[in-house]
Amino acid sequence: MRNVAALLRRELNAYFASVLGYVVLMFFLIVMGVTFAVIVNYLNHGPTQLTAMKIMFSMFWLPSLVVIPMITMRLLAEEKRSGTIEMLMTAPVTDFEVVFSKYLGAVVLYTLMWALTGLYVLILRHFSGGTTALDLGPIACGYIGVLVIGQFLIAVGVLSSSLTKNQVTAALMSFSLVFILLIVVNWLGYLFQGGPINKIVKALSAFDHMDDFSRGILDVRPIVLYVMGTVAALFITTRVVESRKWR
Amino acid sequence: MIKVENLTKRYAGVTALSGVSFEVNRGEIVGFLGPNGAGKSTTMRILTGFIPASSGRVEVAGCDVFEDSLEVRRHVGYMPENNPLYVDMRVREYLKFRAKLKWVPRTERNERIHDVVEMCGLTDVQHRVIGHLSKGYRQRVGLGDALLGEPDLLILDEPTIGLDPVQIRQVRQLIKDLGKRHTILLSSHILPEVEATCNRVIIIHHGRILASDTPDNLVKTLHRGGVIRIELRAPPNEVESKLGGVEGVESVTMDAGADGYVEVLVNPKAGADPRESLYSVIASNRWSLRELSRTRTTLEDIFVQITREEDEAEEERREARRSLLR
Repeated sequence: MRNVAALLRRELNAYFASVLGYVVLMFFLIVMGVTFAVIVNYLNHGPTQLTAMKIMFSMFWLPSLVVIPMITMRLLAEEKRSGTIEMLMTAPVTDFEVVFSKYLGAVVLYTLMWALTGLYVLILRHFSGGTTALDLGPIACGYIGVLVIGQFLIAVGVLSSSLTKNQVTAALMSFSLVFILLIVVNWLGYLFQGGPINKIVKALSAFDHMDDFSRGILDVRPIVLYVMGTVAALFITTRVVESRKWR
Repeated sequence: MIKVENLTKRYAGVTALSGVSFEVNRGEIVGFLGPNGAGKSTTMRILTGFIPASSGRVEVAGCDVFEDSLEVRRHVGYMPENNPLYVDMRVREYLKFRAKLKWVPRTERNERIHDVVEMCGLTDVQHRVIGHLSKGYRQRVGLGDALLGEPDLLILDEPTIGLDPVQIRQVRQLIKDLGKRHTILLSSHILPEVEATCNRVIIIHHGRILASDTPDNLVKTLHRGGVIRIELRAPPNEVESKLGGVEGVESVTMDAGADGYVEVLVNPKAGADPRESLYSVIASNRWSLRELSRTRTTLEDIFVQITREEDEAEEERREARRSLLR
């Protein structure tokens, strides 16, 4: 694992040496900013059970659908297309180190993006100070949820990127996978009300997990689920990268 | 330094290498020569551990390429074909990244990068973005990268491809200088390139090694068409019989020129050099001589000859198989 630091640094540089990093940040901040403005406006119309950050976290799927394919599409597809993978893999680094560093780079960028929304918390705190004290526990849990779900989707994105030389194909593939994992699974929950299928779907639904997290419930089960998912996705990705050796 | 035994590589349905064996000793500059698709890049990729062999043994710096892949990679500086680089990075930044990957100790890193930058003539462009550099400079960045880890062995796949003549000369000179301290294996399909830089040539064609020797020896042993050309003023009927009788001469052809001189082409027997005897015959007959020269067989002739012979042999084998099937 001694090469991860060097590889990670290169990945982070790549995001901000190209326009991509800034474009993704801009997109994310516009979407989240508008969402935040709409939420605050809505809350101003009267009392409600919901808190601003809870609504905010329930919107996590919207940027995820676009941002995750965008930050992961390049990772391995571009290396393969330009041939730099040959240079990378003939240096004394292991395939897993490369895959893991790429995943980690995307996670760091994703974390940075969400960290910027911490500003909203400060704004809320400033303006709601006297009347309703801001409950920081559920907010922290919400951030944990966003990161745990996000890092899994990123691993799925890295896997998509390893399967093709074409960035657009990689992006569409990870968009489809993220769409299935978030939206379709949730929709199945509506389709099968009650019964065992509903139970399974509820256990898998990121919306339900996010709902719990943003209420301040730190359940270990979804965390284990997503971490296992990440391990599986990165394992398969490493296998795909290695596949040049047995094809 | 390199020991390859019976190396075979099959891609889905295609045999890229079949039973290749060769050795490269420490300090040699060896040129891998072959037409496109002969198996040069495949061999190099196996040597650097990028892809494994289907069968056979490959040892680099005393380590098995498959078993000790990481150890081998530490000893090898590799520049792949077309020299892929991260075009979004700056030269120095890129070299620093590569130095870290190659485990150059932190304390030596800056010094090492400085040396490489100087050696490859990158001082002026070290702070520029690689994507904005000319092909020649990019090639030098690739070479610099290969040199970073102070490798025992340099493997360069088509190091001068796509360069202009001036850049080619510079890169060749650089390779020659590097050859004083490193073992080098380079590939090329350009013959003068190999002839100019290497002290041994391995000719590879259709995944098989056809010849392996010094350029001079290849020329000598395979020297068949070294024709001697003579221009002299003499009665044509005498020339053929007298020169044809000289020892070491295989055959003589003549062509009378318009200005009274006769152009004679002498085919010597394999390995023989009858130029001196020819001169003494001419001198003793008091013919006036205007030219006596031998056309040098180049590596190019040999290469064309060998690969053609191999193709013909291949065709014969195929024909034999076909007739057997019938």
